[in-house]
Amino acid sequence: MLFNKLSAKTAALVTAGLISMGSLGAITPAQAVVDCTTATADTATCTVLKVETFGDVIQPALVADYRKLHPEIKLSIKKSDLDALNGTSLYTQCAAGGAGNPDIAAVEISYSGYWRSYPQCFTDLRTLRTSVGNKSATELKKDYLPWRWEQGVGYNDSVIGIPTDVGGLEVAYRWDLFKAKGLPYKRADVSKAWNTWPKFIEFGKKYMAKVSAADKKKNIGFMDNVATIYAAMMNQGTQKYYKNNGTDAGQLVFKTNPQVKLAFNTTIDAGKAGIGTRIGQFSSDWNVGMTKGTFAVMLAPAWMMDYIKGQAPTTKGKWDIADIPGGGGNQGGSQLTIPKGAKHKQEAWDFISWYLAPAQQLKVFQIYGLFPSTPSLYTDPDLVGFKDPFFNNAPTGAIYADGVKKLKPIFEGKLQRCIDMAMGSAISLVINGKEKVPSKAFATGIAAADKCK
Amino acid sequence: MSQTAVKRNSKPTSPWKPSKKLNNANAVQSLNGRWGYLFTAPFFVMFLIFGLAPIVYSVYIAFFNWDALGTQEFIGIANFNELIADTRFWNALVNTVDIWLLSTIPMLICSIGLAAILHNPHLRGSTFWRTILLVPNITSVLAIAIVFGQLFGRDFGMVNIIIGSLGFDHIDFIQGTTSSHVAIASMIVWRWTGYNALIFLAAMLAIPGELYESASLDGASKWKQFIYVTLPSLRNTITFVLIVGTIGGLQVFAEPLILGGSYNGGDSGQFSTLTLFLFEQAFVAYKWGYAAAIGIMITFIVAIVSFINFMITRKLAGDGK
Repeated sequence: MLFNKLSAKTAALVTAGLISMGSLGAITPAQAVVDCTTATADTATCTVLKVETFGDVIQPALVADYRKLHPEIKLSIKKSDLDALNGTSLYTQCAAGGAGNPDIAAVEISYSGYWRSYPQCFTDLRTLRTSVGNKSATELKKDYLPWRWEQGVGYNDSVIGIPTDVGGLEVAYRWDLFKAKGLPYKRADVSKAWNTWPKFIEFGKKYMAKVSAADKKKNIGFMDNVATIYAAMMNQGTQKYYKNNGTDAGQLVFKTNPQVKLAFNTTIDAGKAGIGTRIGQFSSDWNVGMTKGTFAVMLAPAWMMDYIKGQAPTTKGKWDIADIPGGGGNQGGSQLTIPKGAKHKQEAWDFISWYLAPAQQLKVFQIYGLFPSTPSLYTDPDLVGFKDPFFNNAPTGAIYADGVKKLKPIFEGKLQRCIDMAMGSAISLVINGKEKVPSKAFATGIAAADKCK
Repeated sequence: MSQTAVKRNSKPTSPWKPSKKLNNANAVQSLNGRWGYLFTAPFFVMFLIFGLAPIVYSVYIAFFNWDALGTQEFIGIANFNELIADTRFWNALVNTVDIWLLSTIPMLICSIGLAAILHNPHLRGSTFWRTILLVPNITSVLAIAIVFGQLFGRDFGMVNIIIGSLGFDHIDFIQGTTSSHVAIASMIVWRWTGYNALIFLAAMLAIPGELYESASLDGASKWKQFIYVTLPSLRNTITFVLIVGTIGGLQVFAEPLILGGSYNGGDSGQFSTLTLFLFEQAFVAYKWGYAAAIGIMITFIVAIVSFINFMITRKLAGDGK
């Protein structure tokens, strides 16, 4: 009896509490001027767009611009900078039927091959239309580089992501250190001197010949990490690990594609030549080494320029950009997607289509150096004529535009990232002296890649 | 009415004061019965949802080729067969055990030593020292790992600057196998020594003073008292610390993750650990069934190592009296 009474009372109390909480949530003070900068949840006047991203895919200056255009939208940005983490939350959210999905999720292109095989996790962007201009992804397609666009097209032809920047890939080098060692140092001469990878390694050897024994003991080298050559060369072939056989999934060819072996062996050659410092990229040694001239050369996607400026401001003017050996390259770039469970699909689509439009991409390039994925800009005088004083007034816009145009589209499959990591480990085995026989390491890499599924 | 009275008489040992209102006594009995379950329910509900259910679920999916976004195929014990043949797993196991040994033994010696110092009645400001011992333990593992990663940097890390100034070659801590284990073990030692010192201190304070008195009457020096009185009395505590340390040590995760900056535990997996390998398989390779099999293997390994630990510490510390 009393038990029942008590529980009835409790139930009443709880209900009352819920009701009052609910009404509190609904009553929001109307604001004269819309200011959503402090909003943490949706209110009558503010919409909070949840964005899950990494690095600087969403650039702060542009966020400020969008706030002026749409004061009622608050972009709530969450960054996960550890390699796979952004993919991890997308995966678990999708497995849970889209629960907890943000409104916008950035997908790095190393994982785009993977996500293309799971279009059911994303909103088909062909089904959304912009509030201004009434455009869907179908109408936007022509604005973007075709091979970048394809990286955001799911297996069932639905459009799951719109390309952000193109990494491109050129070589950032310290012209002052080259000059001090009596090597060619003007960008045209340097580009010509190392127009192939074997010549690049020769160039490195000449540099190392001028490095004193004492400096060598301090691990001073020509290039930061020769392992980066592998990925660069893989992107210069016509196919990587997959062959485009007309199906969505493609056909795995990593065991037979000669490009894999060529890239692997050239990287090992560079390692044996002793031109690299074996510093891991993005480690603290790497950051400090950039300032101290521990290495004179690094392969640099366009987005890396901003990183160098941030890490080594005292080296301003001492860097320059030369063409990458072998011609053309790409590293990095992302797609912005709207996951299936997004709450504010319309607002998310309005933001994405605005943020990735040519005008905004040009601005991102001018402020941060990220290279646009919209080819209409590649002839734009604002881009082609852009010179960067940090990089000795190199016409970075023109250099990266040339490189990106040389790149042939490559079919990227689901296991791309996994195979890349397996081969990377194998290369590291040889470069760090843990495996003396390169062919054995190659076999180890292929065997590990075979476990990917 | 009479029923209530009988009930009340039948429970004379109730801790509750019998109140004048019979209804209240009735309420108390209801509380002891059904309401008791309700009050303990939050824990059990949480445990069911976040503890038991995932365990049962992971045992279940360990027998599948489980693609959470695609198809799930029952494959029997194929995951376990693959695991036994997987060199990456054995590499991770060896690394984990190595890191555990490199961290546990120095940590044990340091924390007993620290506890012995704090046990000294002449020590001034003992509360201050006891409090400060906990600071490493409440510091975020991520922060520790980032700072230690920089300390152990090859070219510009402080450890190597000291090594270099002594005239030795720099050590590439992160690329080397043993050296990277030393770096990771040092983080663990730094983090847990103080915490365990407090546990040992508590155990030392519980040792009866008469034992020391009679030992000193017998002419035992302070050192002999420590060896023959303090250490044997700490036997159970050492076992406890070792077992807790084993469970933690075999699950070391954040330290190698941040040190390498990725899930592969170094370029050639030189400091890949069991949990790191599990996480990589689950959330980078997205092989959930395989990852679940790894989890089950970790459970077995922890159980076996804990048992061995238990036996050894019993032996080492002697049977006492």
